[in-house]
Amino acid sequence: MTAYQYDRENTPPRAIKVTDGAITRFDHVYEVAPELMQENITQQSFPNWDTLRIVHSRAAYLAWMHSHWAGKIVSGEELLREVIAEQVFASGDI
Amino acid sequence: MIDPLPQTTVDAVVQALLRVLPPDEVLTSKTDRMNRARVPAPFPVHRWGERVPDLVVLPRSSAGVAHAVKVANDFKIPIVPRDGGTGLTDGAMPERRGIVLDLKRLNEIHEIDLENRTATVGVGINMLKLNEVLSPYGLIYPDDPASYPCSLIGGRIGTSGWSLIGSRYGHSRDLVLSFEMVTPTGEIIFIGDGGGQKVSKSSSGFQLKHLFMGHQGTLGIATRATLKLHPKPEAEFSAFWAFSDFDTAYKTVGALARAGIATFGGAVLFDEWKVEYLRRDDEAYIPQPSSVRALVCAAAYGNEDETRAGGKRMMGIVHRLGGRYLGDEISQGDWAARHDRYATPLHGRTLNGQAALMGWHCEDAAINYTNLPAVRIAWHEIIERLRRKHDLFDDWGMFSYTSGNTGVDYLTEIDVGIWEQHLKEESWLAFVDAKREIAAVALAHGGSISACHGSCREGEVDLVPQELGGGYDVMLAIKKVMDPNNIMNPGKYGLDRAYA
Repeated sequence: MTAYQYDRENTPPRAIKVTDGAITRFDHVYEVAPELMQENITQQSFPNWDTLRIVHSRAAYLAWMHSHWAGKIVSGEELLREVIAEQVFASGDI
Repeated sequence: MIDPLPQTTVDAVVQALLRVLPPDEVLTSKTDRMNRARVPAPFPVHRWGERVPDLVVLPRSSAGVAHAVKVANDFKIPIVPRDGGTGLTDGAMPERRGIVLDLKRLNEIHEIDLENRTATVGVGINMLKLNEVLSPYGLIYPDDPASYPCSLIGGRIGTSGWSLIGSRYGHSRDLVLSFEMVTPTGEIIFIGDGGGQKVSKSSSGFQLKHLFMGHQGTLGIATRATLKLHPKPEAEFSAFWAFSDFDTAYKTVGALARAGIATFGGAVLFDEWKVEYLRRDDEAYIPQPSSVRALVCAAAYGNEDETRAGGKRMMGIVHRLGGRYLGDEISQGDWAARHDRYATPLHGRTLNGQAALMGWHCEDAAINYTNLPAVRIAWHEIIERLRRKHDLFDDWGMFSYTSGNTGVDYLTEIDVGIWEQHLKEESWLAFVDAKREIAAVALAHGGSISACHGSCREGEVDLVPQELGGGYDVMLAIKKVMDPNNIMNPGKYGLDRAYA
């Protein structure tokens, strides 16, 4: 059993700048750039596990909302492939 | 400013209410009253104390509602109905104090009629909760506002609500078949198409249903409603497309709306300001290249084969016009997140770029397709002038949503961040002036002040007589006949002038 290590839980991964106004520390998770949070809102320390918990909960919520409204989701990527294939066929390029 | 009622009057009102209502339906604590002093629309926080009701009633029956209204008439004090309290035009805000009648306890499902496809419910029920019950029957009540997880049926009636997928299923006025209503003098009457509770089209008598929807609690209180149900969709299609310029996105949303696709749920146009706003905080748009300058999204619902066919036709239209599909993950995730604005604190930016925690507000209007570009420019100019004068406001861009399935008009909104904690009288009044200017632009372009929220807040309400012309005089006459003591949500829509 590993003892709880406060520093490990509360030290976020290194920030990577994504745009002038945002950074990322976890894949697909973005934060407002710290330099924009100096005067009116200051950043809070946040455990890593809690950041990931919120992100995962969010994904679960979005999946729930889809199933709440309909039985299944039609993939736009599939439809786009069909549209492009039919255009190519119609143009005689195959 | 209206002073609170004297304590002796409050005590007498409470005693009169308790002749019929049980003690737990009459609330007088400061917490109970202050929590019902506002709605999510921005308000002058420095004047919060002016809007605190004198007492709150939480009835469990239509008879209880009627009794409370009769008591209000006896004492000639205001009574203001409140359902979810999620409206954006202050309909549920007690402008003159008095009684707030909170209808959340009227949340029973009285009947689900599987053969005629209706549900009869108390107006305190929320659509999301109702649909959880309907889902096992393969049915849905498809009224889908941004406030879907938190607004209630009664508020949808009182505001004549607008639905994100109204292009497919209609809006609240189309989905509510009939309702029971307590009049401003305390009678319980039935409102519908003719006299049938479950009739969707009647030509018998005056058509009162539209009159008693959207009055913002000034003409009565709905207590029970019969709703039209639809099959729960087999399938959903949602797509988001990126464009390098607004004009192409604008052409695309028009083409989608005019395409005559039967499963078309709705389409939304995001302008350049909206995209820039989303780049600040939204995980879907932060990584997008700078060439993304405008967006369009669209949704379809129905049987799977029809939804696939409709989705494919939409995809073909946008592909030909040069839109770039953003992929399933963003498209499906962002559509599922369409109700987010009622759940998230939002980062605004002050003029120096620093983040500030701001409240969300949106000014809406009904605008014809051909006037969207001109209204967009004029509205952004108004907000830019406002924020240059008071660094408490932020332009969060514009959405334009199809209201119907022919593309004639759009719910057009400009979202404004407001740093409410720092509002003072001068900045509040500047905001009210801006709202009035925004409404004037809508009217100058042949539109209506509101497609969704209503138009009874400070600022835009001044222009309602201009918008409605002789119709406004009819409103005044009806108000005076229905509510002789002016107790039902007084002060809203300028209806006081009916009693001058």
